[in-house]
Amino acid sequence: MTAERSDPIESVRTAFDDHLARADETAAVALVLDLLARGVGAEDVLLDLIAPAQAAVGERWVTNEWSVAQEHAATHVSNRAVAALAAVTVVPDHPLGSVAVACPDGEWHTLPAHIVAEVLRLRGFAVRFLGAGVPTAHLISYLHQNGSDLVALSCMLAVRLPRIYRTIEACRLARVPVLAGGAGFGPDGIWARALGADLYARTAVDAADLLAEQWPPPLTGAPAVDHLADGEYAQLVSRRGDLLRHLVDHLRRCFPPMRRCAGERHEDAVEDLGFLVDFLAAGVFVDDPRVFTDFLVFLADLLAPRGIPPAGLDLVVRALCEPLSDLPRTLTHLAAGRGRLERAGHTWTDA
Amino acid sequence: MDQAVVVCDAAGLPSWCNVQAERLFPQLRIGEPLRGPLSRAMAEGVDCFETVSDGRRLSGHRVVLQGHGTLAGHCVWLVRDDSAAHERQNELMAERARSAFLAEAGKQLAASLHHGRTVRAVVRVAVPALADTAILFLPVRGRCVAWHLYGPDECAGQLPAVALDQAPSVAHALRGLVEQPVLCDWQEVVRLGGALPRDPSPAGQALVVTLPGPGMPAGVLVLAHGPQRTGFGAADVELARQFAARASLALEAATFYAEQVHTAAVLQDGLEPDPLPHVAGVHLGAAYRPARETLRLGGDFYQVRADAEGGVGFFFGDVCGKGVEAAVFAGRVRQSLRSLALVESRPVRMLQLLNEALWEGDPTPFTTLVTGSVGSARDGALVVVLAGGGHVPPLVLRKDGRVDEVHIGGTLVGALPDPDFHQTEIRLAAGELLLLYSDGVTEARGGPTEQEMYGERRLMRDLAACLGMPAGAVAERIDLRTGQWLAGADHDDLAVLAVQAPALAPSADVERPR
Repeated sequence: MTAERSDPIESVRTAFDDHLARADETAAVALVLDLLARGVGAEDVLLDLIAPAQAAVGERWVTNEWSVAQEHAATHVSNRAVAALAAVTVVPDHPLGSVAVACPDGEWHTLPAHIVAEVLRLRGFAVRFLGAGVPTAHLISYLHQNGSDLVALSCMLAVRLPRIYRTIEACRLARVPVLAGGAGFGPDGIWARALGADLYARTAVDAADLLAEQWPPPLTGAPAVDHLADGEYAQLVSRRGDLLRHLVDHLRRCFPPMRRCAGERHEDAVEDLGFLVDFLAAGVFVDDPRVFTDFLVFLADLLAPRGIPPAGLDLVVRALCEPLSDLPRTLTHLAAGRGRLERAGHTWTDA
Repeated sequence: MDQAVVVCDAAGLPSWCNVQAERLFPQLRIGEPLRGPLSRAMAEGVDCFETVSDGRRLSGHRVVLQGHGTLAGHCVWLVRDDSAAHERQNELMAERARSAFLAEAGKQLAASLHHGRTVRAVVRVAVPALADTAILFLPVRGRCVAWHLYGPDECAGQLPAVALDQAPSVAHALRGLVEQPVLCDWQEVVRLGGALPRDPSPAGQALVVTLPGPGMPAGVLVLAHGPQRTGFGAADVELARQFAARASLALEAATFYAEQVHTAAVLQDGLEPDPLPHVAGVHLGAAYRPARETLRLGGDFYQVRADAEGGVGFFFGDVCGKGVEAAVFAGRVRQSLRSLALVESRPVRMLQLLNEALWEGDPTPFTTLVTGSVGSARDGALVVVLAGGGHVPPLVLRKDGRVDEVHIGGTLVGALPDPDFHQTEIRLAAGELLLLYSDGVTEARGGPTEQEMYGERRLMRDLAACLGMPAGAVAERIDLRTGQWLAGADHDDLAVLAVQAPALAPSADVERPR
């Protein structure tokens, strides 16, 4: 990216951030259209303005500077800006091939997938963006109806991996290659390959380059989930309710912030604990403790600005060991989690 | 004894042999030096060998005679001709390879229901097992014949149907006049011209295989060998025929599916919600998630249209049941409402007329319904006149973060001969928002126990947390919260519609609920 290409974008970045902060869709869209009219490349607007601005939005939510509603409103505006950009950019008549871009069932972060869809479209592919939370049955019937050459699946949270596995399997059965992308697929997309995705790209540009290099992409994916034969993942899913009750009881006894929260706050806490158990299960599903440990670190960063001591996580992980003592592989994930919390200085000491 | 036996003396010269040995080694002469494989084995000093000699697979081993008699120092070669056994083995392997090919072909052909992809799969799977170049000609459509070629390269195109006169073998097969695979001169295919290959195949012949269909053939596959291969043997022809039968089934299924999908798509087009209009002074947002039927048809419906006064008119409803039946009834309701809107503007009267149109002496099917007209007041607020029957009360998000229910009341539409409908009016100040939702939202089962309903209380709370958000984002957020609550569980049709008065001066520091 050359300096002179970035300049016009740099100069409007503050204004764009401001439009996102005020959820001012009209202004954000006008700003983007103005950049295009001034000759700034559409791909640069997507990747050097909208994407980094959105990353900053996520950051403001993590640090509790913004509420989840503000984050959501800003994301909505970013999505509208991408759609407005798409509506005014012209692409070649003869597409290189057809791509269906989807956030699979349970995945609600549409913006990264939306940006990938637009970059691929700008690079000459016929792209259909299917949106958020696309059930596998809808995706497969779309493929049968439209004969797409490739499915691009986005996953921003590793907790979705078990469900995405089913989607990838269904695409494999339909013999449509899968390109995986998004932070949820782990460092260098390691979990994308474990689930049988044919390709992985870290960024939208990588994705476009990868497809340009070899089109149509061959079916090469091979899932590596033999460890599921031990049944531990199935156990974790079926015991989820019991585990949550156990955790809530335990925290009510030992963790003062939990004792204090009632009603809706209590429900939120249970929801967060459910998330934690789901991440543990997702890690067991792909047989990699990093799914769980990375989530603990993320959660610790989230809790601290919200006045909840992250050491409480250590208490939670310890409390899970006893009811899961018959699941040896799961125990190694819990142990890894405790180790990671200890290194981050979040060890719980009983008062 | 079916082995050849050759006895050699101490000097290594043959001293006796049996009839089998004479047949196997016609040049063998008693007392003369050995030739061929036996001589090589003696020279190498080995006791056993396996070799191919004069097209036969031979395996031999040597026994050295012990003792002091006249035969001392002699050796005996026992040689077996394995050619026949080997041939049988080869045939078995070939048969296995053919079965494996057909099994794999079946899998690949069944993978897609998309006609274009299936066509591609047919020619790709045929190469290299059946041929080095495969061309699939599809039935004549609109006086054209589409073809797809896979070989050293892949290409596709169309021919005018009359051009087929140049290739009678292909033309006859395509018209269903030939059942069995036939050989034709490759020149016939070359004469078709267009983008088809111009260079004659070295083998000179191509195999034309009909893809049998229920009426007319599903297509014709033309197979050609490259210079490395000999012509088509009986086994090749039989394999091609069996492959064609599988390819034909796959193409038939894809054609049938495409027709069904087209029918469904045409119907669906009239049943899916229209995109929201852009109207100055009214912010709109909607989310629509039908129950998990693959056709995306549901019994929730809504429509928003700009009206002549610069505001919008809308309706929102939920038909009993789900799936195609519900969608078709919802389509009837929508059509009726559109027609009634032309002749009746009083909301309650319109609902009564609608009820008359839908009432068939039977309580089902019925629909819940809210109709509304949105206009601007002088102070920038919106005035919304709501009327309806049987629908869950819409919610209003006030600018202080409070959430109110709007009770309209009324009976279900189409369920009773003498219904009762009501109307009410609300004001939306700047930034305030009206949310209509279907009961699929509040009745979504999930949460920590996976059994609990999302419920009105959670909906109201999640709506309250949307304070400061534009209507589109609010609709998305309610959809997201319901989806998170469901966590992948099955659900009924879900729909939400948000109508919002634009905020006067958007402010970054709205009060921040969780």
